Amino acid sequence: MSAVTNAPARPAAAKRGSMGMLRQLLPFLGILAAALILPAVSNDYWTLIATRAAIYWVLVSGLNLVVGFAGQLAIGWVAMLTLGAYTTSVLVLGNVTTPFPAFVALAIASAVGAVFGFIVGLPALRLRTFYFAMTTLGFATIVTQIALAWQDVTGGGIGVPGPVLPAPFDTIIGFYLFCLGVAVFCTWITANVAHSRFGRSLVAIRDADVAAESAGISKPLLLGSVFLFAGACAGFAGGLFATLQSYISPEAFTFELSVMFFISILIGGRGSILGPLIATIVLTWLPEFAAPLVVWSTFLYAALLLLIVLAVPGGIASLLDFRSRRKIEADRTIIPRPELLPEILGDRTTPGAITLKNVVLSFGGVRAIDGLDLAIEPGQVHGLIGPNGSGKTTTLNVICGFYRPEAGSVTLGTKPLAVGAPHTRAAEGIARTFQTPRLIGEASVLQNVMVGGAIRGQGSFVESLLSLPRHRRDEAMLRHDAMLALNIVGLGGLAEVRADRLQHSELRFLEIARALMLRPRFLLLDEPAAGLSVEEIRCLGLLIRAISRQGTGVLLVEHHADLIFDICDHVTVLNLGRELAAGTPAEIRVHSEVVSAYLGS
Amino acid sequence: MLPAILLSGLAVGAVYALIGVTYNVMFSASRVMSFTAGQLGMLGGVLGAAFIGVLGLPSIVGFVLTLAGCALVGVATEIIAVRPVLKSLEQHLYVLSTLALALLIQQFTAINWSTEPQPFPTLLGFRDGGVGDEKFWLPIAACAATVVGLELLYRRTLIGRAFLAIAEDNFAARALGLPERNLRMASYALAGVIGGLAGFASGQLLLAFFANGAMLNFYGFVPVALGGLGNNRGAIISGLGLGVFQQAANFTVGGVFASVAVFSVFIIVLLVAPQGLFGAPAQRRV
Amino acid sequence: MKITRRGLTLGGAGLATASGLGLSAPALAQSEPIRIGWLAALTGPSSAPAIGFDRGIRHATDAINAAGGIGGRQIELVVRDTQGDPTKAVNAAQEMISRARVHAIWGPTNSGESLATTPIIGRAKMPNLHPCFVDTLIDPARYPNAFRMAPSNSQIDDAVSDYGVNILKLKKFAVVGDTTGYGTTTVNSSSAAFAKRNAEVVYRGQIDATQPDLTPDMLRMRNAGAEAITIWTVSPGLISRIMNVRATMGWDVPLIGHPAMGSGEVGQLIAKPQNWEKTYILGFKNCSYGPDGKLPGHVQTFVDSIQGKINLDDSTLWWIVCGVDAINVIASAVRESGGTDPLKMIDFWNKQNPYPGLYASYTWTPQQHNGLPQSDLVMSEANSQRQGAYKLAPGYV
Repeated sequence: MSAVTNAPARPAAAKRGSMGMLRQLLPFLGILAAALILPAVSNDYWTLIATRAAIYWVLVSGLNLVVGFAGQLAIGWVAMLTLGAYTTSVLVLGNVTTPFPAFVALAIASAVGAVFGFIVGLPALRLRTFYFAMTTLGFATIVTQIALAWQDVTGGGIGVPGPVLPAPFDTIIGFYLFCLGVAVFCTWITANVAHSRFGRSLVAIRDADVAAESAGISKPLLLGSVFLFAGACAGFAGGLFATLQSYISPEAFTFELSVMFFISILIGGRGSILGPLIATIVLTWLPEFAAPLVVWSTFLYAALLLLIVLAVPGGIASLLDFRSRRKIEADRTIIPRPELLPEILGDRTTPGAITLKNVVLSFGGVRAIDGLDLAIEPGQVHGLIGPNGSGKTTTLNVICGFYRPEAGSVTLGTKPLAVGAPHTRAAEGIARTFQTPRLIGEASVLQNVMVGGAIRGQGSFVESLLSLPRHRRDEAMLRHDAMLALNIVGLGGLAEVRADRLQHSELRFLEIARALMLRPRFLLLDEPAAGLSVEEIRCLGLLIRAISRQGTGVLLVEHHADLIFDICDHVTVLNLGRELAAGTPAEIRVHSEVVSAYLGS
Repeated sequence: MLPAILLSGLAVGAVYALIGVTYNVMFSASRVMSFTAGQLGMLGGVLGAAFIGVLGLPSIVGFVLTLAGCALVGVATEIIAVRPVLKSLEQHLYVLSTLALALLIQQFTAINWSTEPQPFPTLLGFRDGGVGDEKFWLPIAACAATVVGLELLYRRTLIGRAFLAIAEDNFAARALGLPERNLRMASYALAGVIGGLAGFASGQLLLAFFANGAMLNFYGFVPVALGGLGNNRGAIISGLGLGVFQQAANFTVGGVFASVAVFSVFIIVLLVAPQGLFGAPAQRRV
Repeated sequence: MKITRRGLTLGGAGLATASGLGLSAPALAQSEPIRIGWLAALTGPSSAPAIGFDRGIRHATDAINAAGGIGGRQIELVVRDTQGDPTKAVNAAQEMISRARVHAIWGPTNSGESLATTPIIGRAKMPNLHPCFVDTLIDPARYPNAFRMAPSNSQIDDAVSDYGVNILKLKKFAVVGDTTGYGTTTVNSSSAAFAKRNAEVVYRGQIDATQPDLTPDMLRMRNAGAEAITIWTVSPGLISRIMNVRATMGWDVPLIGHPAMGSGEVGQLIAKPQNWEKTYILGFKNCSYGPDGKLPGHVQTFVDSIQGKINLDDSTLWWIVCGVDAINVIASAVRESGGTDPLKMIDFWNKQNPYPGLYASYTWTPQQHNGLPQSDLVMSEANSQRQGAYKLAPGYV
């Protein structure tokens, strides 16, 4: 692994990268410049509104990772703002403990926000989307009610005065610049996460969670980190909010505010940072612009949300995404370059075989697999054929840990593979593709491939937040290997294109590239030839064959008998969940039962 | 004291249960949980008060018009917020579209009706406030009528069986040639009627108040979560249980802590038994 | 009807804001209009008081402008609807100070928003009058610019407990409120006021305003031996439920407390008209009918003069006359101090002893910015509303 990490990036690519970086940075710098000029050209009122926008952005930037990236619909995140605001105010006021300095109180508020962000996030690991949305909503109600009831601490309905920051941040302009600084910092760290393996994994959880699991991405760990982070941002924002408001009472933390945070992200566009930033600024400013319409403001937010969901699901970000509207060549062919395979697959230890022994699995009384024995040897292509419903894909899912067999064992070498734990397979070097490609349509082809190598990164979430050296090394390594994998499958020219613009056959090769990122010891392919042209099937066959010659064991579930007989070393024929026949392609071809039951027709 | 708690608990619980059934009926037809379920309950109260109390229509006319209005809102939900996002169910856009529609309904009511609770007219004349008061018995009767009605619909009528078929497996149902879209719209109309009935029957209990929608959204969802998604029997039992539990908590620990208690039970049950206490069909992922 | 009332007010508010926020070119001080900021919770929950104040404010403004203004200067209202939301109120207050450059601010009216805006208005040293009850809002040392034109909470607690203990001659009280901030806080302060008068608070509690059935709570109060129930909520739903349960239980206990118990909405929500009896609410001497069925002379004259111009039936008289007073108090300050210099206006108010208004005779000194004398607070019969005013409760002569 270290061999590739240090490989120097090509200078041309590096130059193109920095140009693209600048283009991406430009809108942010423009907004920052406008924010810096604002106090000089307007009055305290506009400075106040801008301060408010900055504070809201501190919260929204963190929440963006939860809602926009991970796709968790946290509607009631205002609860974390409430917690942060009360924590800071109460600690600075000193009605419970000795008074704390404002900045210490802000740090504690962040910690409190993080803890509760995590607690509220816990149900998201187990519950359906709608359930989670309801849970956050319920939590927001409870926090307000507790703030009302816990009078000794929170002052009940009368509330408590907000903290005042020490000089020079105690003036309108000083406080504004402080909030702006925090907002810039939050933009930077969330951008770092967004462009890290963690950011890509979050999006993978959102749009292709099964694929994410197969790539070894641990949903609990990742979502847990993000909930902690978003809670911390919101807690800090709460402290700033209390300072801005000068006095807080439960009435200040309305559901409308929560909806505004949430909608900012969706109007801005999921998986974007610039979009939600613009939306936060606009939605903070809009009620001021339309002050006489204040009574309609929530109504308008809701109408806007409905419009966005139905008409522009990509939000502002998709409107600003000019690159994806550029034409790509319509007439393209996939030319794999298997000769590059040793660069990514070479130099690995050879484990034993994957062995299934007497596996039984039924769905509601129907035996999908009925006492199956199977062995996938390293360096060989093992074909699995059979009519529809014979249990081919089910077998693959048992190996991958998605299904829990009722009886029998699945072992790798001598070691049993954990049942019902699909996220552990990547670490064992088992990669797979899917019958219907599971990809992130909104991400580029390159990013999709990089998702496959998520577990190969060394840096932690915090290192990514701050863009420390290990994070940067991870990124360089993943980018290098992903380009390599794309070149191997023949999609190198499409690296920067959004994945949802690719043709169906290209998606199949893209999935193989993603699987290669694991440097797999075993590769399980679920009908990779479906929908491919004859020429594409030939290329696919060569590629699969070459992969197996690098020592990788391949399980090929397929309907195309020709492909199976061309490239397999060993074939198992399934019928009604049982092995009908097994042997070399030559043996199967003449097997009387197979011929009459399956091949003959 | 005990009968009073039990009676008011059952009455409130009946409303929660009916909103739970409203969620379920919509879910069965479309696999969508809609935030408009609670708003239908709110509209049942507000429309009833508007037709009978403000416009002075006879009770029975007001009742029919209220249910018709709510059925219309149900169908509108299907057309505006559900059908366009059904194609991409796995993206959960329905959470957003139905939330948006629910907020639209709620704010529209707040602006054009009132932000204060308004009275709901007496329907039968039993208003002594005690155990014979109609405000307790109307929701309970509405709940019983809905249980019987749904049972008859599902067991005895062709359209009811079609509903069941769609709920079981809508791909298969479509393959059988069932008019899936029309059945879905009919289901949403039915959900509107049930939600409206819940709101109308509880008008005297909860008053005609715009914020009831959000309240019913949450307390009507709890029975669904506890009873298991799509499980009407579970929703009815959990709803009634929730009502009694809530009133008992109100009595023993009072106001704020009662809602904390309900919320805690909700979270704990969900974490321990994500499929609910009465079970729900498991989702197939791969 | 409510709907039309709201619609009309809103339209008016929009207009005023539009004209008030136009780019105000620096005009000569002599002809420049006197801009008065009005932070109003005109929509949303608890908007009824602001709607009442608004009628008085517009009436008084129109009257002054029609008479040629003050020293030739017209009064211009700058209205922003805060919806009672502290966040919107903070924005609106800053806008009035820095962008619309108003000369004085009236409001806000609700507690949460007042608490948030008071420091901001104070920082700008902007002359500020408001009708909010929260005690801590008035602190001449910290906020020398802020003056109250309504009773403070402790004055109200004193008035209500005085009535229960000294006039009704009762000893055991139940004190309940809703679960809002106002309810929880006031239950505590009110209980303290009873304790100060050596009365026993045998029951205190919060009731969720949406709780459908109050029988359990009421039974507990009766079992505790309460001789009167003190109620602190603005929710007509909660109030009417208490009244209905009281009737069902056949419990002949007086209800005393918040003026909201006398609102027309309560009248619509109670099951029978007689459920509204034996209920005594806080009122004001100048806005109460004496035994002769008349208001005090100058207030009666005013009410007669606005017949047909301002609808009094769906609002409360004291809100309207307090609004009228607010404009007049600001106008007097401009007239008597010779302009809109904030320090001079504040200085003028500090010398009022008393300022004879319609709603009350306000007394302010540099050390004391609570305008209402305790003697102006009285109790009234909740079900006696006529044209926004109430009959004095039994026990007053």
